[in-house]
Amino acid sequence: MMGEQKTKAAGARVEVRNLTKKFGDLLVLDDISFNVEKGEFLCIVGPTGCGKTTFLNSLTRLYDLTAGEILVNGEAVDPKKHNISYIFQEYSAMPWLSVEDNIRFGLDIKGVPKQEAQENVEEMLEIVGLEKFRKQYPHQLSASMLQRVSIARAFATKPDLLLMDEPYGQLDIELRFKLEDELIKLWEKLGTTVLFITHNIEEAVYLGQNIMVLTNKPTKVKTVIPDEIPHPRDVTAPEFVKLRNYVTDMIKWW
Amino acid sequence: MQTKTPAQERRDKIVFGTLAVFLFLVIWYLVTKLTAFGEIFPDPVTVLANIGDKFVNPLGKVTLAGHILVSIRRVMAAFVVAAAGGIVLGVTMGWYPVVEAIFKPIIEFLRPIPPIAWIPISILWYGFSEMSKYFLIFLASFFVITISVYSGVKSVDPMLIRAARMLGAKDNQLFTTIIIPSVVPYIFSGLQVALGNSWASIVAAEMVQSNMGVGWIIITGQQSSNMVQIVTGIVCIAVVGMLLVMIMRGLENKLCAWNKQGR
Ligand SMILES: Nc1ncnc2c1ncn2[C@@H]1O[C@H](COP(=O)(O)OP(=O)(O)OP(=O)(O)O)[C@@H](O)[C@H]1O
Ligand SMILES: [Mg+2]
Repeated sequence: MMGEQKTKAAGARVEVRNLTKKFGDLLVLDDISFNVEKGEFLCIVGPTGCGKTTFLNSLTRLYDLTAGEILVNGEAVDPKKHNISYIFQEYSAMPWLSVEDNIRFGLDIKGVPKQEAQENVEEMLEIVGLEKFRKQYPHQLSASMLQRVSIARAFATKPDLLLMDEPYGQLDIELRFKLEDELIKLWEKLGTTVLFITHNIEEAVYLGQNIMVLTNKPTKVKTVIPDEIPHPRDVTAPEFVKLRNYVTDMIKWW
Repeated sequence: MQTKTPAQERRDKIVFGTLAVFLFLVIWYLVTKLTAFGEIFPDPVTVLANIGDKFVNPLGKVTLAGHILVSIRRVMAAFVVAAAGGIVLGVTMGWYPVVEAIFKPIIEFLRPIPPIAWIPISILWYGFSEMSKYFLIFLASFFVITISVYSGVKSVDPMLIRAARMLGAKDNQLFTTIIIPSVVPYIFSGLQVALGNSWASIVAAEMVQSNMGVGWIIITGQQSSNMVQIVTGIVCIAVVGMLLVMIMRGLENKLCAWNKQGR
């Protein structure tokens, strides 16, 4: 079980105001505004290439904004101050660190005491099922294992704001179900704010409190659909299927 | 096809390698004994006997071991300085655009000059002194190491930098946790090439101007038409060069185990 939780993650509030992002002449995000409340679990779905990754990269200031602003707890985002974890769409495990040390990376950066860090690492190794591979290096791992290393590294720091960009796309079904449940547990326990990007509508309906549907480029928010089905959700329940079909209809851009 | 364990493979390598060397010596022996080549080239038994003899009895001022150590000492003294300087300059060039702008053109200009082209300058400046050798070895290794380390910093995976920044890494943490580990393999490949260059250059320098060292053995062999001594020198150069490479590889394998493409 999880060790003594010293500081419960506060959950960050995100404000997006008139966000516009262009790459040269290509208008990707077109004057988008919305808020994500403290502790909210927001799933974001939208057509491929509509700018979902661009949005997260703008939020974290990996990209400069063309216009507008994004605030985290009322100020410009600063990963040194705000406790953020970002699971990228691409692999980002450090090739020179073992699985275990990769998972510990963020904890070391943040100066978490050794004992507490080790407990977190052990817990994460178990959650993502990599205990047996703790001493392996990334070049020895499969695609799914690499993705799980990134997931574990992101969870281990118990972030206030968790950004996930199609994190479960590489995983097989059982593993995906398991990690979806682990994410829900983590979220319920920590009160983390989660922004979860996915292509998988069932996954969005299974996880989110709100489901944001984006349009094609130039991208705007088409609608935000509340998902009030209580956890644990049953993907075969009639209300679940009904909501899934509704989201599917909303996402159709053809 | 049956697969072999790494231990078996290592054993096979040693067995076949030893056999090949032995076979090479046998052919060398037979060719010198059975053909006219023997009139212009010594057989391996004579050379090996001479090597053994010169390890005990001096050749010139010191024994063979003495000459080898003199050459190695010359290489190491300057190589260590060049490595330290090259790593520092390479990293700063990769990290600070201003340093890059200043030094990159100079280094790119000087790097293609073969080290032995500096020999005349080294002699005019430093004459017979050890400094003339250090100067040359420094030039033979410094640029190679600098460029290798620099390109290492340049090719750090931007994904990893982002990942570290997102987890809150400050600039100094980014440097120690991402840049340095990424660059280590480039440092090693630079050091390996530089060491090979240095060893080749020291032999050339000693052949031109010296009173000791493996290059001296060869050139005095030529001056006294002593073919056995020349071949003795050549064998020593080859063996020491090989050992230097093996030591560097061993170090690399230890420090960069993660970099080995797994199978
Ligand atoms: N760094 C960049 N430079 C130029 N254009 C870019 C850059 N990053 C993204 N784009 C363009 O912006 C658009 C949105 O890209 P983005 O990767 O954000 O889409 P996405 O919604 O994440 O797609 P996917 O579902 O395939 O992951 C695309 O047309 C892409 O070509
Ligand atoms: Mg994307």
